[in-house]
Amino acid sequence: MNLGKIIAVHSYKGGTGKTLLSVNLAATFVQHGKRVCLMDIDFRAPSLYTLLKMGKVEFWLNDYLNGTCEIDKVLVNLSDRIQSNGKLYVGFANPATEAIREMSSKDRKWEMRALGRLLALRNSILNDNGFDYLIFDTSPGLQYSSINAIVASDLVVVATTFDRSDVDGTKRMLHELYDLFEKKTELVLNKVLNDFSSKAMKEEMQSKIKDIYQVPVLGIVPCFCDVLKAEGGIIFANERKTHPFAKILDEIATKIENNMV
Amino acid sequence: MSKQEALGKKPLQILEKIRENLERLNEKIEVMIELQKHGKKDIQTIPETPLDVMTLLSMPDHLRKTAMTLCKLGRATADEIAQQTHRARAVESAYLNQLVIMGYLKKERKGRKAYFYVDREVQGG
Repeated sequence: MNLGKIIAVHSYKGGTGKTLLSVNLAATFVQHGKRVCLMDIDFRAPSLYTLLKMGKVEFWLNDYLNGTCEIDKVLVNLSDRIQSNGKLYVGFANPATEAIREMSSKDRKWEMRALGRLLALRNSILNDNGFDYLIFDTSPGLQYSSINAIVASDLVVVATTFDRSDVDGTKRMLHELYDLFEKKTELVLNKVLNDFSSKAMKEEMQSKIKDIYQVPVLGIVPCFCDVLKAEGGIIFANERKTHPFAKILDEIATKIENNMV
Repeated sequence: MSKQEALGKKPLQILEKIRENLERLNEKIEVMIELQKHGKKDIQTIPETPLDVMTLLSMPDHLRKTAMTLCKLGRATADEIAQQTHRARAVESAYLNQLVIMGYLKKERKGRKAYFYVDREVQGG
């Protein structure tokens, strides 16, 4: 059996940087020579299709969850976009308004079957095809698709900010969602404005965050103007490897690879 | 055919049938014990209730653990669930049967073994 991991990148609020983290984490793993599958599970606001500047896509993750095709039809090989020996395959959510509307109107029975199909990915993606990581980029909050992805995952990476409502909501989700499903949960604090240039400042902040949330901190990401200016169009982990953002992602990926948190 | 004749011809089959019946009886008793423990005399049976994530979230902790494990395994015996949850087989058997009564799971017998599963395909919608 493959020892691959399924990671769900989730958050309480929107705009915390889930997609940016997902894409760059996937790219970093690929640069470490890993076989990575990245999936856009945010069916209400799909973004990977636009972010990765895709042309025609024949099959979507929507089709897989609807049971009209198998997962191998959905995955697009984008390994040539990353300079490394690793592999990157991506499954896209359909960004068409009609598709978003259709996915928003699914009933509980459909969601139950969708959970079954997400759970089946452990066999088809990790065990049968030998992928090292399957990353779900989810929608924020308590959406069906996100909770399905969380249930199917081994590790939940929670992207959060110091925004007060985000702090409160994230704390609630930690106890009322991830804990109930007994999920391993780790935090990435994003868009941090505080100064933590020295090691002591960084350690103080990590301890402060751990006190607030009572879960391990996977990484602290400062608010980088370069990242915001890029408007999601640059995969820093691939195109700007020396940028501090890419370096932090490298640390996060290494921690996950070594089960260090 | 008299009972003595039957016993002479198929003693093993008869004993196995008795054991099977005793096991079924045992499962029913386990469910009743569990219901008593959790202060419920009866559970409302809802035929084919979808076991979706919101239902999982609203379940009591002890049942959620069993249901989650079965969701991951797809189809399993009480023994296989117990190996994953590190709880006693009898406890898992009671919880699984409780989930069957509640309409979340299906149960199928194959010989002496009882298999539990989430019926995702039959349900429409």
